[in-house]
Amino acid sequence: MATNGMHGYRPGLVDLATGLISREIFVNDDIYVQEQERVFARSWLFVGHESQIPNPGDFFVSRMGEESVILCRDRAGLIHVFLNSCRHRGMKVCRYDDGNTAVFTCPYHGWSYGTDGALVGVPYFREAYRSELDKAKWGLVEVAQLCNYKGTIWANWDPDAPPFLEYLGEFRRFLDLILDGWDGREGQAELLGGVQKWLIPCNWKFPAENFSGDSYHNISHRSVDLVGVGPSGKSRRDYSELNVARKLHVAIPERGHQTITYVLPKDFEPQPVYQNSPEVAEYFRHCEEERRKRPGPNARLIGAPGEIFPNVALLPRQPRTLAVWHPKNAHQTEVWRFFFVDRDAPPAVKNFLRDYYIRYSGPAGMTEQDDMENWNYAHAASRGVIARRYPYTYEMGMGHAVEDYAFEGLRMPGRVIDITTAQASEEPMRNLYGRWAQFMEADSWDELMTWRRNSSRELAAAK
Amino acid sequence: MSGPINVRELPVGARVVLVNGAEAEVVSNPNDGVWLFARYVSAPAEPALVGQEEMIFAQDVAEVRA
Repeated sequence: MATNGMHGYRPGLVDLATGLISREIFVNDDIYVQEQERVFARSWLFVGHESQIPNPGDFFVSRMGEESVILCRDRAGLIHVFLNSCRHRGMKVCRYDDGNTAVFTCPYHGWSYGTDGALVGVPYFREAYRSELDKAKWGLVEVAQLCNYKGTIWANWDPDAPPFLEYLGEFRRFLDLILDGWDGREGQAELLGGVQKWLIPCNWKFPAENFSGDSYHNISHRSVDLVGVGPSGKSRRDYSELNVARKLHVAIPERGHQTITYVLPKDFEPQPVYQNSPEVAEYFRHCEEERRKRPGPNARLIGAPGEIFPNVALLPRQPRTLAVWHPKNAHQTEVWRFFFVDRDAPPAVKNFLRDYYIRYSGPAGMTEQDDMENWNYAHAASRGVIARRYPYTYEMGMGHAVEDYAFEGLRMPGRVIDITTAQASEEPMRNLYGRWAQFMEADSWDELMTWRRNSSRELAAAK
Repeated sequence: MSGPINVRELPVGARVVLVNGAEAEVVSNPNDGVWLFARYVSAPAEPALVGQEEMIFAQDVAEVRA
């Protein structure tokens, strides 16, 4: 089996023709090491939200793959993302989670950096270095590309990667379901509370796959449904609208992003939700009315679990949250969960949602606990030499995805499987691992930007 | 010789004597225990420094003026 070569991932480990995927991609340490270079050093990764660093000097220490990075706002108000490692001997220059500072000082030998990354302090610069060190060459390492999209900060180490919005492609509308206001106004989201962080003993791809759109595992959450942790005191979410919507798997093939989404019928009236709290119910009733008045494709969309390649999960429709699956090693993942709420929502709404979010998601969330049990035990049970011989099957719904899917005039991007009746498919997982295999095989972004080649060919053909 | 000086405790306006004999006034303190931002008040070995602001390394601080 090709585990060390640069080629052969698709036939050897990710076989989309048969729908078989080797357990090696989850448990093999060599593959994990290659992922750091080929996937995480080239992908756009979510770093944080601008509301975490509102003032000059504010910083938030985040991660990109295995590496610690500093998201900060410099004295001029510009946002930066730096590798959290001194250029002299590599010590972390910031060991706090967040705060405000004038400089990042390495505690090892004392090198000090401004919030713009410039090296500003070198002990014994005149005496020991004889003023000969070129400080301008030794600032903090900064990411090659950074994007502030509706307040969310994304970064990429690869200067040859496409811009973030091109990387997102038509998946952007699904991310907008989190970042826009519930009433449809652009970019109204803010972070609610801090970031929940915890470790789970499984490979990062287990949760990434789950959030890509695994609607097959709902039986795992049966107990939560029965208890009724949902905001209306029933089930685990508000389901009344979903009962009349088309339930879809949407996969963007050349990007590796995928999601579940629900499309409401035209002229469908908002249904009562959050009935246990009149103020919250009224807030969302008003927002739903406003949302339907706004033009655009999202007025009839209800967001559901999805995944932005490689390791960012979205859950737009309550809890409204982004999760990042930070790889620690092949067998451990550090989960960071960020919760969002409408900036202008009344305090009673924010408090109500905070309670619900915590009840649902995160290390203490009842639904997330169900998921973690599955991922953690599945990983452990796949590590043995016997277990590794047997691939997983991803055959569900193979050959049934369509392009140009539309429901009552609303067109969906990418490849779509209508799972309203079928309940589930594995098209999103095939899409995730297909893209993963492309990253593991490709030597450069030129090979990964297939859409640019296709559009060039289309342009040439049109001439 | 006095013991090590905790530069984190030095407020803006404090005057320090450096190991090379220069004297400087603290203009801001990043509170990292390693650096001070200070303006030279005197600098016998390098008079051109007087009036300039520089980052002062904690180990270069020999004494705090009373």
